[in-house]
Amino acid sequence: MLRPCALCGGLFLAAAAFAAGDDGEPTRQLEFVPPPAGSYRLEHIMTAPDGTVLDTDDQPMPLARFTTGKVTVLSFMYTSCSDAWGCPFAYQVMQELKKSLDHETALLPHLRFVSLSFDPEHDTPEAMRLYGGSHMADTGGLPWYFLTTLSPMGLRPMLEGFGQDLSVVLDENGKSTGSLSHVLKVFLIDRRGSIREIYSTSFLSPQVVLNDIRTLLIEQGISVN
Amino acid sequence: MLRLSRVPRSLATALLAAALLGAGPYAGADETCNSPYIGNLIKGQEDYVYVWTLGVQGLGDGSDKLVTIDVNPASKKYGKAIHSISVGARGEAHHMGFTDDRRHLWAGGLSNSRIYVFDVGSNPAKPKLTKVIADLPERTGYAGPHTFYALPGRMLVGTLSNTRDKGGVTGLALFNNKGDLISKYDLPTDNGGDGYGYDIGINPRKNLLLTSSFTGFNNYMRDLGEVVADAEAMKKFGNTMVLWDLKAMKPKKVLSVPGAPLEIRWSLREGENWAVVATALTSKIWLIREGANGEWEAKDVATIGDPAKIPLPVDISISRDGKGLWVNTFMDGKTRYFDLSNPEAPKQTYEKVTGKQVNMVSQSWDGKRVYVTSSLLEKWDKKGTDNEQFLRAFNWDGKELRPAFEVDFTKEKLGRAHHMKLGSKSLKSAFGDAEPPGEIAAAR
Repeated sequence: MLRPCALCGGLFLAAAAFAAGDDGEPTRQLEFVPPPAGSYRLEHIMTAPDGTVLDTDDQPMPLARFTTGKVTVLSFMYTSCSDAWGCPFAYQVMQELKKSLDHETALLPHLRFVSLSFDPEHDTPEAMRLYGGSHMADTGGLPWYFLTTLSPMGLRPMLEGFGQDLSVVLDENGKSTGSLSHVLKVFLIDRRGSIREIYSTSFLSPQVVLNDIRTLLIEQGISVN
Repeated sequence: MLRLSRVPRSLATALLAAALLGAGPYAGADETCNSPYIGNLIKGQEDYVYVWTLGVQGLGDGSDKLVTIDVNPASKKYGKAIHSISVGARGEAHHMGFTDDRRHLWAGGLSNSRIYVFDVGSNPAKPKLTKVIADLPERTGYAGPHTFYALPGRMLVGTLSNTRDKGGVTGLALFNNKGDLISKYDLPTDNGGDGYGYDIGINPRKNLLLTSSFTGFNNYMRDLGEVVADAEAMKKFGNTMVLWDLKAMKPKKVLSVPGAPLEIRWSLREGENWAVVATALTSKIWLIREGANGEWEAKDVATIGDPAKIPLPVDISISRDGKGLWVNTFMDGKTRYFDLSNPEAPKQTYEKVTGKQVNMVSQSWDGKRVYVTSSLLEKWDKKGTDNEQFLRAFNWDGKELRPAFEVDFTKEKLGRAHHMKLGSKSLKSAFGDAEPPGEIAAAR
């Protein structure tokens, strides 16, 4: 069964005929050595969509400001997600990546992380600031931005633009439970705003993401040694 | 396997209100043989089987179509064709594949090289045609889009032929989920490669992509009897599989697997890293696994029927625990079960004639339901009364396939039943597609 999230309560207890999400821990221990950074090409999958987001100071900004100009790792999340292998897992991987990159001061001006909330009604700019804590962009090291949106309907075009799916969860009678589910994805975006890799959390490996980041930097002519 | 997470109720409420909620459902595939990047596996009772169906001149509208069969025993329409959507052309409908979010179903035509994208997320009972990709040959040089294999946000398409000589040298085309071509990758013709293509199978844990090989347009669009009688034509079948570095999309090793290796099935058994494939012409099961020396190798591990009689194994379906394999042999109409407990030595433990000709075989996640269709290719199907066209459903108790229902595709004026994908109304996409754009009509 799917693990209920904190916001969902009893609404999520209905048993759906499909039972995805009970697959346990994602495959973190990959059984291969990733190809060296720069030895392969990351394709241009599509252009990252734009839209209006709110930063932690409650200032409306174009999303493009956070997806262009630098290599960006972006993940959708919401602060109350309690599925350990959902949003928190992606967050944990991003934390590990940040820890690896924080020491590489020559690279930091070319990188950013973005966490964009699924839940604008509850994830206010202040809630995102609290969630970001010590990882906030203005606290040094690799800049990490915690963004939300004005409303769910304002968010929707961005979700669609990224191809971040959402599915209606029905009960055993085919009626809506009032909830949605999603396959969580993490996006790697180049400085021109082109999505160059999409990771499903089931196969999200910090080492692979790190190599991909370095590959994009090498492509820009930046030394990663 | 992919996992799903719930999203917050506030967003759900807002989007649901805009998503035209109704009797919504959702869709899946032969549940044990999906791309590992596909979430939303249907682990209970499936509601629908989609059948990508070849049009037959003079039968119905004569066009290829996607047919939806209601397969839930609790439904009043159980065992009935409840919907079909014609693509308005006859182009050798063959295989299909879901996008990673299972919102769309991509289907290919082997003769017209068109790719049809159906929205199955808005209302899985009634798929809608939302896009036609008609320029694959012009943009890639490839022809005959066959396998549709989901990657995150992308669709990798394995093709069978080319525009230059309509032979079997071909490649892989990569699209994003919106249908934009991203890149192409030629199948290797060096280091032992014959350049032929067919299926795709990915093992993300090992960063491996496997491809298999069949034959080109000149053979698959020619009468089977003529092909078999033509010694030169019989030389033009694939005899290789290729191991690729998935991340780099570069060939790593060419494996010799003679006799047209077709469907690739990686074991889903936890911690195991091996795949099986059946060869159509030599009637063998081959095992692809990492040897003790760390080198990947292909090994002939079993015989299917009597190879001298060319039973023509055409589809295989692996059980979720990796311990069983269904094999359909076209010529003798048999559905066979192999014990795969020891993948080094598969043993056939059961067989049943399920039709005068059988092609695809698909099973539910729990293995209790097995679906069989009849058509291989328009020019390869049997003639006269042997040309049965059907979807037959069976219940499997581990000992016997017991008929559940049958849809006669000729009687229903539908066509030749080919590839199947399973669907469920347990999920509904929150994002409904807009009405199909006007250019679809023109593309048809």
